[in-house]
Amino acid sequence: MGMGAEGGAKPGPDGYFLRAERITKVYSDGTVAVRDVTLELRPGEIVGLLGENGAGKTTLTKVLSGLLPPTRGRVVSPRGPVRFASPREALDFGIGMVHQHFALVGTFTAVENVALSHERPLTPLKLDATRAKLEALMAESGLKVPLDVPVEKLAVGEQQRVEILKVLSQDVDLLILDEPTSVLTPLEVDELFKLLRRLRDEGKAIVLITHKLREVGAITDRVVVLRKGAVVGDVSTAAVTREELAQLMVGKAVGTRAERAVELSTDEIPAHGSHGHSERGPGVLHVEGLSVAGTTKPIAVHDLTFDVYGGEIFGIAGVEGNGQTELVEALTGLRPALKGTATIHGKNILGLDPRQIYKLGVAHIPEDRWVLGLVLPFTLAENAILGVHRWDQFRGPLSVLRWGKINAHVRALMERFEIQATGPNAPAKSLSGGNQQKLIVGRELAKDPAIVIASQPTRGLDVGAAQYIRDTLVEMRDRGRAILLVSADLDEVLALSDRVAIMYEGRFMAVARPEELDREKIGMLMGGVGVKG
Amino acid sequence: MTGTGARPGDRLLRGVHRTLTGLHPAVESVLAAILGLLVGAVLMYIWGYDPWRAYWALLKGAFGGDYEIASSIARGVPLILTGLTFSICLRAGMFNIGAEGQMYVGAAASICVAYFSLPHPWHLVVGILFAAAAGVLWSLGPALLKLTRGVSEVISTIMFNWISRFLVFYLVAYVLVDPRQAQRTVRIPLSARFPILVPGTDLSAAVYLAVGFALFVYVLLWHTAVGYEVRAAGLNPTAARYGGISIKRTMVLSFALGGVAAGLAGAATTMGLPPTYAIISGLPELMNLGFDGMAVAMVGRNHPIGILFAALFFGGLNAGGRVMQFYGANPVPLEMVRVVMGAIVLAMAIPELARVLPAVAGAARGLVRTLSPKARKEAA
Repeated sequence: MGMGAEGGAKPGPDGYFLRAERITKVYSDGTVAVRDVTLELRPGEIVGLLGENGAGKTTLTKVLSGLLPPTRGRVVSPRGPVRFASPREALDFGIGMVHQHFALVGTFTAVENVALSHERPLTPLKLDATRAKLEALMAESGLKVPLDVPVEKLAVGEQQRVEILKVLSQDVDLLILDEPTSVLTPLEVDELFKLLRRLRDEGKAIVLITHKLREVGAITDRVVVLRKGAVVGDVSTAAVTREELAQLMVGKAVGTRAERAVELSTDEIPAHGSHGHSERGPGVLHVEGLSVAGTTKPIAVHDLTFDVYGGEIFGIAGVEGNGQTELVEALTGLRPALKGTATIHGKNILGLDPRQIYKLGVAHIPEDRWVLGLVLPFTLAENAILGVHRWDQFRGPLSVLRWGKINAHVRALMERFEIQATGPNAPAKSLSGGNQQKLIVGRELAKDPAIVIASQPTRGLDVGAAQYIRDTLVEMRDRGRAILLVSADLDEVLALSDRVAIMYEGRFMAVARPEELDREKIGMLMGGVGVKG
Repeated sequence: MTGTGARPGDRLLRGVHRTLTGLHPAVESVLAAILGLLVGAVLMYIWGYDPWRAYWALLKGAFGGDYEIASSIARGVPLILTGLTFSICLRAGMFNIGAEGQMYVGAAASICVAYFSLPHPWHLVVGILFAAAAGVLWSLGPALLKLTRGVSEVISTIMFNWISRFLVFYLVAYVLVDPRQAQRTVRIPLSARFPILVPGTDLSAAVYLAVGFALFVYVLLWHTAVGYEVRAAGLNPTAARYGGISIKRTMVLSFALGGVAAGLAGAATTMGLPPTYAIISGLPELMNLGFDGMAVAMVGRNHPIGILFAALFFGGLNAGGRVMQFYGANPVPLEMVRVVMGAIVLAMAIPELARVLPAVAGAARGLVRTLSPKARKEAA
């Protein structure tokens, strides 16, 4: 270990640590994920890698960290070209990556997980040495985690800290973080940024993959913008505005889209709330006294009563894990309710299976598109009929699927929802996250539902795709449909909703129009502090 | 050591790895078959047999002429059906190894047609229906246990295999026994036998039933909403439930369908395999057809069409093996054919093995590194 530290790879003050030279990566299915990218990483600098989903950010960093071999081009260090056969070798060289999905053994403690990462074949686990090292690291970096609790019992933010400690304990010189803030609370983000600044000042090179413009401004020294696999901008953060970055990232010269991006660049989602749109339709969803058990908690949703009307977006904000998931699952037939009633247009939906609920006009955009929303090995076409596969337009006599009609339907969806894929027979897992989500949204909206239950509909999506999906929801609202929007993204809920409910521990702390709530008040409500009078 | 340039061994390893993982499933199966035959050859050589002569005998015995081809196909017929049993359930996300037992009860049920008479095609049809129904009934046991009590189908189907085996032993010995020939059951009457397609061979019209059922399963799985639900539930049960698919229904359906296939395999053996047309005490004609079907399903990549070819291949091995054991001055025992079959099934796991090869190589390098501190220092 510690190869990189004294291995001579460390350059002088003006030198670089690692340089990617004209890297091109073509996947075996012909997708060009990274196109002729040259990139220099220097010690003591935080580089933001900005781009839409599918822009090639993750692929590029995987090439840098040895997970993927480049198709063309090379990675050089001041000592000469380097080529890593495995992440292990990259780590030995001083390159560590913290992935979006953590690589931790859930039943192991932090010490055990870190010791495991140092393990070589046939050497005993050095638990005591690891503990000493971790304690030193924690004291030095200010990153605190419980060392003796199985990591699956830790909060996501803590798990991420274990991941970071794990990488830091390998004495890395280059730290790559893939969307590290997507799972963190604002406070945890602040702490992470403090840590990253300290690491930078210690002389480490840091790459931060993100699509949040606010973060780029807050933490990075330099921004590299990727679009469709190519570098379209490599600038000092101080010398660029958010508007310019957004335009670079989205890149579409078409007026509306660029304007949207610019609006977004201030991290403001254009408000679509009830301003000037006040004709609320008839009640669609009526929920009364609904209680639902959670997976781990005996009661996750506590005696909720609310209505969602046609022509409105009813947003539910709150820190994740306060019963939103259980509420949505109960309303969509995936989880039994303990008590209470829920009706769509006066017809009971509790106790029905999902298909019966869909028949009553419910569309469901689930929060986890990989687990719930898609059958990843299935093709686009097969996924596009999930849940509607028994509809007459797709199913002929003897239950035979009409593939011709299904494929035509998929092509129409691809066109209308701008889904980038080679065709209806492309496997869903080959699509980027944004395109997968567009596929789900397209499928659900094609049901022409009375109510859309959208759970975290834009999570992990780039600006363009997220905005597209928000626009689509607003359009559905304007056509008189009811929308129940559950999102951890407060900006999104506030911008889109006609009414907002703040959920805390299974209850609504408040239901109000977004303009009646200021952020401070919302913050307190989300934290469970009731605001009186 | 951090690789300024790749080691040549690495490149080769990665090349092999890429080649193997990028292969079409059909090519993978063919390679596995070849590898299995090679392993068999090495073993024969070690034991002092002449592999070339033995394989020559096997090939001639399997596909050397019309008679041989016909009997290879005949041996493959029940394997198609038991292979389908395994594949249908695997596609639905379950590991059903109950084909063996379901086939036994199917065979026993088909024998019952001997106790009444009907005109020709109808007698046969009734026998087929009996066998299918018995297979379904036997498969519902594990299905219901899983559904209501969460019992793993792997365990329950194994246990049901044993129950079925001794039940059928009992039936053969005491209930369905032919009073004049105590070593076997009563025989299937002429009116209930599958017509022989090639006179003088074992090949009966049961092959139409097996191939027809395979095509039916293909159409069902890939071209109907019902099959779509089965496959979705198998690949991602959570998403399937979200999509309004009842996992319980796909589970019972695929188990029942597998039971039909296994029952038919029993019927094809009792009603369609000359010369016995009965179950012999000890079930020699039936034994292991269900387990061999799993091998067939694996080599056929759990695709009904692939299973047809795999069953023909395994049928050929069985038929040819019988010739091989009487061929020449130093004949190779039939057991060697089973060794080859086993080696093929193991070889099917090689693409998976190739996937872990780089990791194994990395571990080996790490080992060398750990053991030689000098090399480590130099590298640093």
